[in-house]
Amino acid sequence: MRRARTGAVVIICVVALLGSWGCKKKGPSPLDGDLAGERGGLDEGGLAGRGSMARVQRGELPEEDGILKDVRFSYDSAELDEEAQRIASQNAAWLRANPTAKVEIEGHCDERGTIEYNLGLGSRRAKAAKDYLVTAGVDSSRISTISYGKELPLCHEQNESCYARNRRVHFVVLGQ
Amino acid sequence: MRWVAVSLACLGAVRSAPAVVSGDIYGPGSTQIPLASVPLKGSGDADAPALGARFASILAKDLELSGYFKALDPRSFPERPDTMGLTADTTDFTAWNATGAQDVVKGAITVNGGRVQLEARMFDVPSQVEVSAVGRRFEGSAADVPRMAHRMADTILEYLTGERGPFDSQILFTSRRGGPLKDVYVFDFDGDPPRRLTNERAIVVAPRWHPSGDEFLFVSYRRHLPQLYRQALGSRTARSVVSGRVAILNGAWSPDGSKLLVARDVGGNTDIYLLDSAGKPLRRLTDHWGIDVSPTWAPDGRHFAFCSSRSGSPQIYVMDIDGGGLRRVSFHGSYNTSPAWAPKGDRIAYTTRQNGFQIVVAGADGTGGRLVTRDGVNEDPSWAPDGRYLVFSARRGGRRVLVMTDREGRMQRELTTGQGDDTSPAWSPRRDY
Repeated sequence: MRRARTGAVVIICVVALLGSWGCKKKGPSPLDGDLAGERGGLDEGGLAGRGSMARVQRGELPEEDGILKDVRFSYDSAELDEEAQRIASQNAAWLRANPTAKVEIEGHCDERGTIEYNLGLGSRRAKAAKDYLVTAGVDSSRISTISYGKELPLCHEQNESCYARNRRVHFVVLGQ
Repeated sequence: MRWVAVSLACLGAVRSAPAVVSGDIYGPGSTQIPLASVPLKGSGDADAPALGARFASILAKDLELSGYFKALDPRSFPERPDTMGLTADTTDFTAWNATGAQDVVKGAITVNGGRVQLEARMFDVPSQVEVSAVGRRFEGSAADVPRMAHRMADTILEYLTGERGPFDSQILFTSRRGGPLKDVYVFDFDGDPPRRLTNERAIVVAPRWHPSGDEFLFVSYRRHLPQLYRQALGSRTARSVVSGRVAILNGAWSPDGSKLLVARDVGGNTDIYLLDSAGKPLRRLTDHWGIDVSPTWAPDGRHFAFCSSRSGSPQIYVMDIDGGGLRRVSFHGSYNTSPAWAPKGDRIAYTTRQNGFQIVVAGADGTGGRLVTRDGVNEDPSWAPDGRYLVFSARRGGRRVLVMTDREGRMQRELTTGQGDDTSPAWSPRRDY
């Protein structure tokens, strides 16, 4: 019965946690010092408050489009079709014209399918967009990728127009 | 344990009803045995009767969840806890027979200064005998009473089916109860609301148990990147598993706890890596442009299954732990994900896209697959420690709830009530005594 007593401890701790739950928001999750290293040339400190998760942590919706337009995908696909390439090409032109800007590419999915596979699919979508930008002349050190899978949808309706908006990569521009 | 000594040998002869029947002839959800779980006779501290009633109600709920029993309404019981006898001689089988009960569980609880001594016995009404193999005696604290009830339920199922029941266990899952962001929660079968274990305020996915049942793994975006964390069940702080800024989408401890399989994201390409328990890389196991995620260990620790899109659509594959022997084990449809290897090693459950999303249970080589759900959205199966039941996440009326089924899909029971958006269940290993 040792474990059951540990359970009682858990309850106490959770009650303690719940006690602090109602306190004022502490703002976006800290991107503190030990994260200051480089990943794909990006200082994540600069991302604080800019990415989709930070927006949701503030109670906002994820951003749809931005300085750069979102690129959309077909169901269970990470390929850029003609329209997607047209938008990605415009985004590449903007990045070439703004050489100090960096970008984090977020991969997102619609709600259909399992959570973990969709995280993998979101990674592939972000990579496909990154590869397109690099081929179009954007230095890869200016680009990082992250997948949010189906965790941060723009909308929640179960219809194709909502699914289509959620199957996207979103470009978070930093330090232009 | 004094009454366990009573004549085990005569059982087979006396008990005419189901006796020990192996799973599939007499399964959960077919005929349900009417059972009376009587509040225990209490003595000692003032809370003894309430604890005795709690034991009986948890036991009844477990046995109903199992699919093998129908618990009778206590208002119909002909015997009362304070006056009833606890032997076959003093049990009014005629009165119990009139209620329709086939089995009656009763017993006594003594509470002294929070210390509990508890006995529970089962009686077979048609044959008017005590089923001595099922009698149990427990000692512990008042807080242990729910676990005593779960162990009694597990014992009764073992007597009935030859396989111990799954109820002395817990289920981890993620939920959006606190708003749009997730945390890890734990469900037990005590009838209390699930408890929140983490305080991430971020995206949280893929909770998985340590084989000891003392600790769990999960992936959190708390530091922007998805990273792997571990947390003790009794702790409120999570520790990073892999040092450095490594993106990991999901991970799983080996059956002996000495290694980890993880799906690592390197610049948008996911592959499976083997790490030691300290998070240091031992081996890269897959090297493919496709998506490779959701590793699940075979219980022998020598193989694993995972989901890969290398054929062009997500399918289930098995690989040896040295990186050889790759073989595909899902053969139908264009979307098969989230494999879970059964604790006995004989089966793999996974999610398939068909009439929505359904749960498949197949042999570990992929043959003999059958759907255990029929329609709607059902995802992310996880096996109970007995290998007989599974839990999965299902969309029911716009909410996600956890649903329990058996490996043949004969019954379904909703475990959570739709208070939150409950996803990614992970059923614990058996708890220690």
